[in-house]
Amino acid sequence: MTIDELRAKAAERQQTCGQIKKMIVSRLDLEVEPDWITDDQPLFGRGLELDSLDVLELYVAIEAEFGVALYDSDMAVFGSISRLADEVNPRLRVTA
Amino acid sequence: MTTPLAHTHPGDTVYGQVGDATVPLRFTDLSAEYKVLRERAVALDLGGHTLIEISGPAAVDFAQQVLARDVEYLTSERCMMSLVLDDDGRVVDQVLAFGREDGLLLESSVGAGTRLLEHLRALDIEDVEIVDRSADLTVIGLEGPYAWGVVGRLIDGELASLPFEAVSDTVWNDVEIIFARTGFTGEYGYQMIVPVESAADLWEATLEHVTPSGQEALELAMLEVRQPIPRLETTGDVNVIEIGANWLVDVTKDEFVGKEAVLAAFESRQGRRTVGFSGGDTVPEPGARVLAGGEDIGEVVFAVRSVGLGTTLGLARVEAGLAAAGLELTVEGAGVTTLTSPYIVPKSWSIPII
Repeated sequence: MTIDELRAKAAERQQTCGQIKKMIVSRLDLEVEPDWITDDQPLFGRGLELDSLDVLELYVAIEAEFGVALYDSDMAVFGSISRLADEVNPRLRVTA
Repeated sequence: MTTPLAHTHPGDTVYGQVGDATVPLRFTDLSAEYKVLRERAVALDLGGHTLIEISGPAAVDFAQQVLARDVEYLTSERCMMSLVLDDDGRVVDQVLAFGREDGLLLESSVGAGTRLLEHLRALDIEDVEIVDRSADLTVIGLEGPYAWGVVGRLIDGELASLPFEAVSDTVWNDVEIIFARTGFTGEYGYQMIVPVESAADLWEATLEHVTPSGQEALELAMLEVRQPIPRLETTGDVNVIEIGANWLVDVTKDEFVGKEAVLAAFESRQGRRTVGFSGGDTVPEPGARVLAGGEDIGEVVFAVRSVGLGTTLGLARVEAGLAAAGLELTVEGAGVTTLTSPYIVPKSWSIPII
C-alpha cells in the first residue's frame, strides 16, 4: 500500500473510534472530551472504569447508533475502543 | 537495592538491574512462567516497587498536587493507579496510591523509587512528611485467572472477590498486611503489602499454592493488555498524550503538577501516537525506524518476542494520522501489522470468581 492508502485506512478506523467515543461520552454523561479517550484505552476496571450497568447502556447505544447487536458477545469486545470499532465496522477487523 | 526476598529465591534465579532495583527477571524460563501466569496463577516478588508514606496535616492536599488523578476522597479501603508528572508534563512515575488513615502510601513502579522520592522531596511542601518505607515493607503480588483461588487458600476467600482497587487491612498468620485487588496484566490480580520481617514466610506460604514469575513474564503480559510500562515507554522526550496514558490522568481535576503542559499537548493535536504491532522474525531495538509505504513515520518504542502470539510484539510511536490498527508497516525490512488492544484477551475475562 502507498502511504496515502495507509493514511486513508487509518482515517477510517479513527473516524469509527471517534464516533464510539462520542457515543460513550454522551450516553454515560462523562466529563471528558471524547478525544481524550485513546483508541487502546481499557474500558472496564482499569481505564474508563465502566461497570456492568454501563455495559447494558452501551449495548443499547451501539445498536441504536451502529445497528449492531452485541448482546451475545463476550467481554473481549469491550477490551478497547479500537476493539469495539472492529465490531461495529467489520471492514476494520484485523487479527493479531 | 535488592528485593528483601532475594535470599529466599533459588540460586539459579536470573536477576537484572531495573532502575534502582535488582529484581528477579525469571526463575525458570520466560515461556513457562508466562504460560502459568496466563493459564493459572503466579506469585510475583514486587520488592523492586518502593513504598513511600505521605503523612502529616497537608498529606492529602500534597497528594492532590502530585498525582495526576483525583485522590481527595481516596479512603483507606481504596487504591488507585495514577501518573506522577513533572511541570513539563513528562512522566516521573506510574504509582499505585493507597488511601491511609493518616495520608497515603505510594507504590512506585519497578526500579523508580529513587526518582520518585527525589521528585516528591523537591516539591518541598510544609506539613507533609515523606518517608521511604522500603526498609520495613515490601510487596508480594498474585496474578492469573485463578489467582482468586490462591487468595482463598492463603488468607480468606472473601478477599478474593473484593472489587477492583479495593483494599483491606487484614491479618495473615498474626501479621498485619495490606491486601488489595489490583492487577497489571488484565488477569485477576492482588497485592499484599507485608512487613519485611514476615515477607519470607508469606512468600513461602504463597509458593505452596503457585509458582513464581519474574519481571520478564510480567512485563510481557502487561504489554499484551497495553498496561503502560513506564521504564520502557517514557524514555526520551515524550509526553502523556504520545504515550497514550491519558487514562492515568484526570484532566477534570482542578490542579496538579503538569496539568497545563498535558492540556497544551492535547490541544495542540501535534506529535506522535503509540500503537502496538506484531510480526517479523527478529526483535527490533528501541529506535528502529518504522516505514509506511516506504516513508519514515516513526520509531519502535520497544519490542519483545511474544510467547502468546508466537511472533514479535511491540509498540511503535508514529505520526498521529497513522497510529491505527490494521495497517501493514515495515520495521527493519520485516512486514509488521498494527494491532487493536488487547493483543491477547486475558482468560480472566471469561472466568468468574467462585
